[in-house]
Amino acid sequence: MSGEVILGYDGSDGARHAVRHAVEMASAFDAPLILAFGYEPPTMGGEAADLRKAVQSRGEAVLQEGADLVKSIDAELSVERVLIDERPADSLVDLAAQREARAIVVGHRGMGPIRGAVLGSVTYRLLHVAPCPVVVVKAPER
Amino acid sequence: MGPKTGWMGGWGIFMADLIIMPSLAQISAIYLFLLFGAEGLAESTFWTTVVGIIFILAMTWICFRGIELSARSQVLLLGTELAVLVIFAVVALYRVYAGDFADSVTPSISWLSPFGLSVDAMTAGILISVFIYWGWDTAVTVNEETEDSTRTPGLAAVLSTVILLVIYVVTSFAAQAVHGAGFLVDNADDVLSATGTDVLGSFFDKFLIIAVLTSAAASCQTTILPSARTMLSMGAHKAAPDRFAKIHPKFLTPSYSTWFFGIAAVVWYVILVFAGGDVLADSIVGVGLMIAFYYGITGYACVAYYWPHLFKSVKNFIFVGLFPFLGSLSLTWIFVKSLIDLADPENSESGSSWFGLGPPFVIGGVLLIIGMPLMFLWKAGHPEFFRVKRDPAHVKPPPEGGETAPPLLGIRVEEDADVR
Repeated sequence: MSGEVILGYDGSDGARHAVRHAVEMASAFDAPLILAFGYEPPTMGGEAADLRKAVQSRGEAVLQEGADLVKSIDAELSVERVLIDERPADSLVDLAAQREARAIVVGHRGMGPIRGAVLGSVTYRLLHVAPCPVVVVKAPER
Repeated sequence: MGPKTGWMGGWGIFMADLIIMPSLAQISAIYLFLLFGAEGLAESTFWTTVVGIIFILAMTWICFRGIELSARSQVLLLGTELAVLVIFAVVALYRVYAGDFADSVTPSISWLSPFGLSVDAMTAGILISVFIYWGWDTAVTVNEETEDSTRTPGLAAVLSTVILLVIYVVTSFAAQAVHGAGFLVDNADDVLSATGTDVLGSFFDKFLIIAVLTSAAASCQTTILPSARTMLSMGAHKAAPDRFAKIHPKFLTPSYSTWFFGIAAVVWYVILVFAGGDVLADSIVGVGLMIAFYYGITGYACVAYYWPHLFKSVKNFIFVGLFPFLGSLSLTWIFVKSLIDLADPENSESGSSWFGLGPPFVIGGVLLIIGMPLMFLWKAGHPEFFRVKRDPAHVKPPPEGGETAPPLLGIRVEEDADVR
């Protein structure tokens, strides 16, 4: 199995913190790293074409910034950026299945179990439906 | 049909959404008090307004934060609401036939007959039906994105409209049968809670209250989200200031548009309360006017946009040309006739007079017209949007399959046809 390591990257502090771990994992396995950004506007809100466009350009900027961060840690590592028009957890799961990825890495946003359940935790959903191991990186306490 | 009409259509959507917010908020506040048995508070304008404003702000925050119910919980909520309504209708009709209510009326098919109504009553009724259909077009817009998009949207639109019709008819039959039409007129503000207790008893009527509450909350979300998106689109296409096109870097929602809308809704709510009109009834009629306006524009836009394709097949001519045109024509007639009727304060629900005019006329007509000077003001400073000429390459053939089928009320085939 030579699958890639996927990092769910949304530019948040948790995701930025997870970059280092994802880079270490990818280079240890000698696997390429994929930075993935997934978002889908809620379907109940009607026409969303322009919102999608706005989110896409934001996503591209975030991914670029993430790729720069990766390069600053390990300039040798092969990095791919993927923008997915799907809800965050689903986008990571589908991408992992399609690429037969080695692992998914995500940053932990620091939501407790209750807040996570109410607000919808990406990590929680991932743990249950991902087709590969999921690595959750907890951001340091501030 | 050009950018100006498109701009006014956008204004119509925005104002219709804005105007309905106080009604949703007021319903939520009243039912929240009723749920906890605080009948006194439910009747206080002050306290319902306070809770209503908190409700609008909370819903705005939820939309801003990007919190959404999953598709599954939406199905659950809507399913519960429908189930409660059906239970209410079935129990009510059963008890009517069992003779449980002394003053009940046996349902008659003649209740459905439009004959014997005056033309004024007809137009008023149609305007309200335009309002209650509103939102049901979501099945069409949303499903543009579903997997089998040649069949699903058309089928969904037709099916959902039939379901909607059956629910409305059965529930109104049930409600009217319980104590007769006079009782409904006396309790016009809130038919459900008035009949609910009598039909379901004082415990089970709580379910009716919960159903109304959840549906008001869901309606609020389905009002804020599309309005914010419409404003974002207008900002992105230079039809409105750039800041409307901003999205929140983390929540990825139209941040400025969402808060602008929420705060505008609160301001409008406060104005309405001070103006002292019957917020609910008069706004609903006013909103009916606006919806008739922008559905009407959509139908004409459909004909104009697909003009080169209309004469290529009989099917195109009927479904993309004739039906939308007839739909728009009837909506135009209702719009004009209602405006004339509603100018007279006597014809409004509240009977109050604003500047010598009926409140629904002011709400639906004047606020719509305010869009005109605003548009020209914007055009004077930022003419980019209005210079957009229709790109002939963009005139693609109408979608095949079911999408164009239901010509019920000027379905949005390509809403922003003029904008692109």
